[in-house]
Amino acid sequence: MAASRWVRMGAAAGVVTIFLALVGLIGGFTDVYLIGDQIVFAGLMLVLPAFVAGLVAAAPRVEGGERHEMQLSEAMKAAAVAGAVAGVTFALAVVLADWIGAERIRTVFLNVSPQLMEFVNFGQATGPGALIIVAISALAGVIGGALRVAPRSVRRPVTAAVMVTLVFGFLQRVIPIALDQLKLERDWLYSPEFDGLTWIGAVVVGAVAAGFSVLNARFGERLRGGLARAGGQSGPAISPARLVAGLVGLALLLVAPLLLGSVISEVLGTVMVFALLGVGLNIVVGYAGLLDLGYVFFFALGAYSLALLTGATLNAYGIPPEPVISGHLNFYVAIPIVMVIAAAAGALVGAPVLRLRGDYLALVTLGLGEMVTVLVGSPWLVPLVGGPSGMRGITDAAIGGLAFRDPQRFYYLALAFVGLAAFISWRLATSRIGRAWTAMREDEQTADAMGISTTRFKLLAFAIGGAIGSLGGALFAVKIGSLTPASFQVLVSIQVLGLVILGGMGSIPGVIVGALVLVGLPGLLREFEEYRFLAYGAAVVAVMVLRPQGLVPNVRRSRELQDEERAQDEWAKAVEEGETSPEIATASGATT
Amino acid sequence: MSEPAPVVGIDSVLEVRGLEKHFGGLYALSGLDMDVRKGEIVSVIGPNGAGKSTLFNVITGIYEPDAGDIRYGDVSIVGLRPHQVVKLGIARTFQNVRLFANMTILENAMVGQHCRSKGGVFGSILRTPGIRAEEERIRERAKEALSFFGKRLSGYRLEQPAFSLSYANRRRLEMARALATDPQLLLLDEPTAGMNPRETLELRDHIVRMRDELGLTVIVIEHDMRVVKGVSDRVIACDYGQKIAEGTYDEVAHDERVIEAYLGTKTTDD
Repeated sequence: MAASRWVRMGAAAGVVTIFLALVGLIGGFTDVYLIGDQIVFAGLMLVLPAFVAGLVAAAPRVEGGERHEMQLSEAMKAAAVAGAVAGVTFALAVVLADWIGAERIRTVFLNVSPQLMEFVNFGQATGPGALIIVAISALAGVIGGALRVAPRSVRRPVTAAVMVTLVFGFLQRVIPIALDQLKLERDWLYSPEFDGLTWIGAVVVGAVAAGFSVLNARFGERLRGGLARAGGQSGPAISPARLVAGLVGLALLLVAPLLLGSVISEVLGTVMVFALLGVGLNIVVGYAGLLDLGYVFFFALGAYSLALLTGATLNAYGIPPEPVISGHLNFYVAIPIVMVIAAAAGALVGAPVLRLRGDYLALVTLGLGEMVTVLVGSPWLVPLVGGPSGMRGITDAAIGGLAFRDPQRFYYLALAFVGLAAFISWRLATSRIGRAWTAMREDEQTADAMGISTTRFKLLAFAIGGAIGSLGGALFAVKIGSLTPASFQVLVSIQVLGLVILGGMGSIPGVIVGALVLVGLPGLLREFEEYRFLAYGAAVVAVMVLRPQGLVPNVRRSRELQDEERAQDEWAKAVEEGETSPEIATASGATT
Repeated sequence: MSEPAPVVGIDSVLEVRGLEKHFGGLYALSGLDMDVRKGEIVSVIGPNGAGKSTLFNVITGIYEPDAGDIRYGDVSIVGLRPHQVVKLGIARTFQNVRLFANMTILENAMVGQHCRSKGGVFGSILRTPGIRAEEERIRERAKEALSFFGKRLSGYRLEQPAFSLSYANRRRLEMARALATDPQLLLLDEPTAGMNPRETLELRDHIVRMRDELGLTVIVIEHDMRVVKGVSDRVIACDYGQKIAEGTYDEVAHDERVIEAYLGTKTTDD
């Protein structure tokens, strides 16, 4: 019974490996070295599914509400079986491919290259190659299983070390630039020959990460208590690890473009534009609980209204738009007007969908967003917004002689706007308005019955979220300098929602982290560009399954998601303890 | 906040006339009349399905009536949205407790003060002195409302999430949240349901205190006859969406039609 489960898991992992090979994530990356000249990205992809299968196979099972922890020997057996089955499944596919002939398969699956076949056979003939695959997969499964059953004090530092090392490996084109800027020696850390980490570098990075993890586990709780007393707070204090991470992150955000040069600053500028959109959407989705899938509407509105207000040229005619609304305002004068327009549009768009909830609201807003894409690209609006060929010559937001088209300067402009939006969002969340939104999100009807005009506060959320989103659009226009409808696809809405969900709904640091992960990483790793949406989907699914509250959750939001079980436990405990006190005894004594 | 002992006068706070509410073919309310005077505690009793909760839902604007009128003071409140009704001074609790489970106890009560405050977007962003003062006032008023139930909802509990409360305390918090809206008329829908006998007795005293100390007019839907007997100035019995009897507890308790409604028609051999 249990064994069939392990086999199923292994087979699923094997199929995932086959999928990864077919989409080119293995064959295309045999020369992306992460550590030394041994650990390549393709190799990681090859064993990752088997590793995960081992991890999952060794996990405690929940049956009929009971949790069954596995014995060590059983867990190892489970992990080995799952890993080996994954290997066998993949090896069978490789043998089959060799038998048919890679060249013939390639007519259908473009990524089945001779390079891939050589890599998955480890340079051997078919038979021995298959055996190596099975052996390595079983090993990966066992490692996964061992990690799963290891005590927390071992699992945490090991996980931290491996994850951080891999991240350093991936950032092989980012960190060396920073080291060069700082005039630090880098050859010990990153191999000049293979680009990836050297083994010495990997060991050092891993050891430092593990060390931090151990320190946090040992002193974290005590520090947390100390911080709470120092701050005089009564609520749950922020953990020191999170505080340090926050401060380091903030410092890095401030110096990043100076260290990383203009190519990476370009990517970071896009990250900031998306972070701005995320902060805005977070108000609608995270605070007010209204699922909006048409957020691209405000992105487009901000970009195009800024272009019109500050004066741009229609690509179709080579002249500015005909109607009188085309102005020549300064960027900083235009921005408040753009925001007011967007807020009004938000309220206007919000009005017809007020009565809709959940899925229905999502569908209608999705449609509204799609309408914008069609509208700005329609031949009908060519005289106004340029239609399919778009507009160019948008302001560079200069202050005096200081223009912001340059990627590094643009980054700071965008960062300032993100800071402003985050501040507004935080102030609102912690005010009477934020309280009304929370109440509305938790129980709309009750909020109404307690005196909150849900109509008003829904419209307010749409309006403020829209105003911040339009800011993102305006900055995007400044960054690119030209606009075409291709930049305003429905995918923008999905991306922004994805980063809000990934980071943690209702959490502003979460939005920044979400933007860095979902927009920054694919931008930095150019060769992964075409796998961007594969990674997106995988990341969002993984977060929803493993950590529904997001990477950097908002405390209340995470409570809502774990609410039911927790509420029952707490309630049961409270009932057991009893709720009686002397006052009632006298009260009842007097009346009986 | 405390007012002298209530004067049961003639001035009606609430006048309900010919109220009807249908759900498809079901007549939840069919021509109900009732009056509530200032400073009274009126109990509404009746078997399940008699239309008691529907009456509350219509008064508070959750349902719109199909016919009839409800006057609160001098104005008709038919057609108002629930939040408008609260603002006029009518607060309620729900039969199945409906708290904002993930907000803290203090925040739940602070939501009650929402309709008595008006901090807007720009004030909240800039956090002007006026907004700070208002927020402070909301907090104090919410604490005051919570302190109506003694120590049960104050102290360290203020910052606890509402879901961590026991069942009885959830009911108390719901009442405190209603009190925090600064009402004149309070509608309590089965406030003692699910409470143990001791808690029920305690709550009975609280209901009386709401009138005596806070000067509220209270309408309470209740099944526990000890509570009805203990608190009511007047009892209104309903069945099939109509008033079938009205008067003091003793009058209503011995009314033929009330007994019939609860126990069914007498058999001939009785």
